[in-house]
Amino acid sequence: MVHSRVMQGDEADLSLLERLRAGDANALEALMGQYSARVYRLAYGITRSAGDAEEVVQDVFLTVCRKSESFEGRAALGSWIYRITTNAALNKRRGKRQEVETSLEGELPSFKADGHREGARAYVLADWSQNPERDLLSGETREVLQRAIDRLPEHYRAVLVLRDVEELSNEEVAEVTGESVPSVKSRLHRARMALREQLTRHLGPRA
Amino acid sequence: MTCKEAIAKLAEYLDGELTSVVQKQLEAHLKTCPPCRAYLATYRKTKELAAKVNRVDMPEDLKARLRALLIDRIRARPAGG
Repeated sequence: MVHSRVMQGDEADLSLLERLRAGDANALEALMGQYSARVYRLAYGITRSAGDAEEVVQDVFLTVCRKSESFEGRAALGSWIYRITTNAALNKRRGKRQEVETSLEGELPSFKADGHREGARAYVLADWSQNPERDLLSGETREVLQRAIDRLPEHYRAVLVLRDVEELSNEEVAEVTGESVPSVKSRLHRARMALREQLTRHLGPRA
Repeated sequence: MTCKEAIAKLAEYLDGELTSVVQKQLEAHLKTCPPCRAYLATYRKTKELAAKVNRVDMPEDLKARLRALLIDRIRARPAGG
C-alpha cells in the first residue's frame, strides 16, 4: 500500500508535539506551516463555505493544542489532523444538508437491460475532454461544476477532496473517515460520475 | 464485458488496481466502444477539474488571525502542561 508523505508518522511529528506541549510557539508556527493550508482546503471542500471553513480551522488547531498530550503517535500526525478536520467539518454541515444536497441517483449513468448506456447516441458519444482547460475552468462551466460539487452529499465531498485534492490512497481515506475501503471507493466513483454527468449535460448535446 | 461493467471499473482502472485479466477485458471493451471511450476521457477530465476547483487557498488574513489566537492560547498555558 502506498502512503502519502503527510500520512507517514515520523520522529519529527512526535518532536513537534513534544515542543507544542512545552508551550513552544515556534512549534505551533511549524505545525501551522505544515498543516493549516491543508486543513482549510479540506474544511472548505466539505463545508463549501469560507465562514464555516474558518471556524473549522480554528477548532482544529485548538483541538490539536488541547489534545497534543493525549496523542500517542500510534497514527501519523497528518492522519490525526485530517480526521479531526473531517469530523469538525461534517459536524458543521449537520442540520444544513437538506438545503441543497440532492440524491445522486438522477446524476448517475443509466443502462439498458443489455448493459449498454441509455440516452441519445450523440449524448453518450459526447467527449468534451479536449476542450481548452481555460474554458472548462472559467465562466458558466466552472459555475456548473461548483454547483454540482455543492449538491454532493457531504460524505461524498469529504472522500472526493481527500482522494483527488489531498491525494490520499483509498486506505488512508478509510482510516481518516472511519469508512470501509469499498465504501470509500464507491463514494468516490459515484461523486465523480455525478460531476461528469452535470458537465456533460452542460457541454455536450442534449440527452 | 458490457458498458455497465466497464464504467463500474473506471476508478480502479485509473488507480491501476485491476487484475491484468480484468484490465485486458476492459481495454478490449474500450477499443470497440466509442461511448465508453468518451466516458473514460470525460471521467478522467472531471477528476482533474474537480481537484483544481477544490484547491482553494487559505486567506492570508485568516492565517494571521489563527496565528494570533493560537499563540495567545499556547502562551497562556503553563510550560509542560
